[in-house]
Amino acid sequence: MRELRAAAPADTLKEAGSVEPSESGGGDSALRASGRRALAAWPLLPAFIFLGIAFVYPVALLLGTSFVDSSGELSTVHYTRLYDSRVVSRVLTITFEIAAWTTVFSVIAAYPVAYLLSTVRGSTRNTLIIWVLMPFWTSFLVRTFAWMVLLGRNGAVNQFLDILGIVDPPTFIYNFSGVMIGMVHALMPLCVLTMLSVMESIDHNLSRAASTLGARPGQAFWRVYFPLSVPGVAAGALLVFITALGFFITPALLGSERETVIVQLIIFQIKDMLNWGFAGAIAVFLLIVALIIFFIYDRLVGLSTLSGGSARAETNAKSNFIGWVGRRLGGLFIEVMARGSDLIGQGMERAFPQRPDKPRRKGGRAAIWATALLVIVFLAVPAFFIIPVSFTEAQFLSWPPRGFSLQWYESVLSNPVWVEAGLRSLLIAISAGGLGMLFGVPAAFYIARKARFKTAMIGFLVSPIIMPNIIIAVSLFYLYARLGLVGTDLGLVIGHTVLAVPYVVVTMIAVLKHYDERLDHAAYTLGANKARTFVHVTFPLMRAGMVAAFMFAFIISFDELTIALFVTGGQVTTLPKKMWDDALLQVSPTLAAVAAMVLVFMTIVILVSELVRRRGVQVQ
Amino acid sequence: MTKQTKVKFVHRTSRRQFLMASGAGIAVLGLSGTMGSRAFASGQQLVVADPGGPFTDAFGEAFYRPFEEATGHEIRNIAREHQPTSQVRAIVETESYSWDVVIVTQADQVLLDGLGYLEELDWSGEHMDNIMPEARTPVWMGTDVYATVLCYRSDTYGEQGPQSWADFWDVERFPGRRALRRSPIDTLEIALLADGVSPDELYPLDIDRALAKLDEIRPHISVWWTGGAQTSQLLQTGEVDMLPTWNGRAQTVIDSGGPAAIQWNQGLYSIEGWAIPKGNPKADAGREFIRFCADPQRQAAYTDLLAYGPTNLKAYDFISEERARFLPTAPDNLEKMILANQDWWGEHKDDAEERFNEWLLS
Repeated sequence: MRELRAAAPADTLKEAGSVEPSESGGGDSALRASGRRALAAWPLLPAFIFLGIAFVYPVALLLGTSFVDSSGELSTVHYTRLYDSRVVSRVLTITFEIAAWTTVFSVIAAYPVAYLLSTVRGSTRNTLIIWVLMPFWTSFLVRTFAWMVLLGRNGAVNQFLDILGIVDPPTFIYNFSGVMIGMVHALMPLCVLTMLSVMESIDHNLSRAASTLGARPGQAFWRVYFPLSVPGVAAGALLVFITALGFFITPALLGSERETVIVQLIIFQIKDMLNWGFAGAIAVFLLIVALIIFFIYDRLVGLSTLSGGSARAETNAKSNFIGWVGRRLGGLFIEVMARGSDLIGQGMERAFPQRPDKPRRKGGRAAIWATALLVIVFLAVPAFFIIPVSFTEAQFLSWPPRGFSLQWYESVLSNPVWVEAGLRSLLIAISAGGLGMLFGVPAAFYIARKARFKTAMIGFLVSPIIMPNIIIAVSLFYLYARLGLVGTDLGLVIGHTVLAVPYVVVTMIAVLKHYDERLDHAAYTLGANKARTFVHVTFPLMRAGMVAAFMFAFIISFDELTIALFVTGGQVTTLPKKMWDDALLQVSPTLAAVAAMVLVFMTIVILVSELVRRRGVQVQ
Repeated sequence: MTKQTKVKFVHRTSRRQFLMASGAGIAVLGLSGTMGSRAFASGQQLVVADPGGPFTDAFGEAFYRPFEEATGHEIRNIAREHQPTSQVRAIVETESYSWDVVIVTQADQVLLDGLGYLEELDWSGEHMDNIMPEARTPVWMGTDVYATVLCYRSDTYGEQGPQSWADFWDVERFPGRRALRRSPIDTLEIALLADGVSPDELYPLDIDRALAKLDEIRPHISVWWTGGAQTSQLLQTGEVDMLPTWNGRAQTVIDSGGPAAIQWNQGLYSIEGWAIPKGNPKADAGREFIRFCADPQRQAAYTDLLAYGPTNLKAYDFISEERARFLPTAPDNLEKMILANQDWWGEHKDDAEERFNEWLLS
């Protein structure tokens, strides 16, 4: 990250400006300092207390059963079995492999999209964002079945290839590529939005300055822009990776027999064996391995890049070996990419000399547009499939749709259960999103700016995503049974907020990396109090990040199934749960109709809110 | 059945009094064990957990509405999860009876009863006597029979469809794409039957032999399926030409005009039925409801909407012949099939799953 600081002196200054209490010092003053520090940590309290009660306590009770045998005595029997099992370690490896490849593909595909979005005009940008968000609004169940119909043996893609005369088309699904298509499609929007919220705060004048100083576009991008965007890449990759660890329906439906993931083993033990001890042991194992990987990742890319600590101390090989290696590797990567793109640029200039009287060509720009549009089409494909299929006369999801019929819409709208489920899901998602922000945002501010033990804190705050949902769901049922919360909307909101907080925290930390605190200080100097500063200075600058964070929290709740299956006790229903129940025998076009309505509804909401916002800006 | 010792992860001492408000507004305070005795007050509300989807309509018409009319109790049906074992355990351990009666499969019944989570039923009465023997245990009454059968595309094979699991393995005579279930359940039996094991010698399952037989067919398996709705889709779109699946999932394709056919020969049938979570204060009303569901006429009523077989075979007096063709317990179909031995599975499921997964990942 040498390049980063060289390119962004403002950042360095900002870091130098924030003074931390000294580590050394006499006993008394150290005590007082640590007391002050504890008091100053209040922004962490809401998140930590909430997760302590609604996540750590109930889950610890369940995981505790992994340390006792069937007669209730303390025992390591489950862990011995874990150690002996050849299947568990193999499946865990597969799980991490799938998550890692999903992350790699998501990051690579999302980057040009986020870059394009951060550089185009407002209205174009908003139109494109609507397309990027498409996967969010198509329920995971419908989406997965859409891929089955699109990419299957007699699917739309093969029909098309057949017309082109390609007789022996490749197999897209029921293998590793099927899993990748399904998972990258579902998770890439996370990456795009996280990166976008960071890229929006990058000052494009820095790249221009590099060009003025003679750098070719490739050099300017790799040496100036890219390092500045790394916090977004790091945060997006982290979110995709840990979310991917919990995916099991996509690998089950689109993968081969070898794509068995760890959550499936846990579900088998929980449901088929009622052996919660062994399920707990697997979950503990998963959590530990995931946190170790998180720790190494943090050192490698530097959570410091995530949370703005990098400029404080030059890392050296001794104090943080992994970090040092990461820096060297990162530096090398940037060097290679910068030189490589420069060579290509030189070659291009030789081959097609630039005439000084013509305006500079914008070949790179066109390439970015093309790549980004390709990715966006990929993201929007299932939506294009779902809408026509929802008007089909056939009883199944199939391509091409047959005839025209409104029967599926009729059957949804005439059934009060569907309408009620939709409204409930909407309200719960808004509440969980709001609560997630309430708990997550202050914690993110504190962690990004002041906290020590950042790695441990972020590790703790993301553990609800790593912990398989079924473990959280069963645990919450026991807690709720005692509190009388089974079957209540409040219970659902709490459960979903547990999952929402991590997304808010990680997204906000990434955005805060670039936030210049001196702007706040300037406001204070001019007489604004903390609240006014937040409303008029901090919030407007953080808006993109906040919107992204809320969006993640919202969608996590809106699409969540496992917790809803448990804590509702079946007494009330959410949209994903109703869809799941409905898909017992078949996934019918009814579900396509529901998905299409959600899609249209959400798009309208986004358009209207955008319109209102623009009005507001004009009035001001 | 061995009674395993159960480990509760919520200790009794830490349990508090809680308020359990049932829909009828009966608030039950505390955790006294005497609650069962006052269950017979008329006009109780029973919360009945069924699999949802088409079951809601079919059972509503066959059981719920008639039961309400006959007894004055109220039935509130809710869609339970696909495999509600952990919910039943949680309900019993926390004594928060959000469900009064629940449908579980025979396999899950073995598991739940082994841990003592189910309430005894009342087996008196003529209709109860007529329930088929394999659908009876002290704590569970089978309500419907479903079967894992060989289903195939009739447009691929025409009249000359596969007749047995051996034909499923015969890739020369029956070319085409195949799918198998990504689970040892049924798959091991299917492999052994294909290998020529006779139905009466099927259990205990020879896992080694089954996996060796599966090795033969593995290169020809295009899809390893994991869910019922997925199999309907595979069959309907022609993604595969034959696969073992539950008869109800194939029926969905047939009912919508899809070119699918069912081979009942060597099918493996299983049963799902009603059970009451242990300690339920409304257990008596629950027992009354379950006895009501043994009525052959009531059982016949659900077969219009659901392609599952009644467990009271007298129900066939009330079912048309055309419909009976598609039901697992119709005499012609039942005699060709084999009952999956859930007691064997109850004891060996963990081991079989581990071995099967190891084989799959190898």
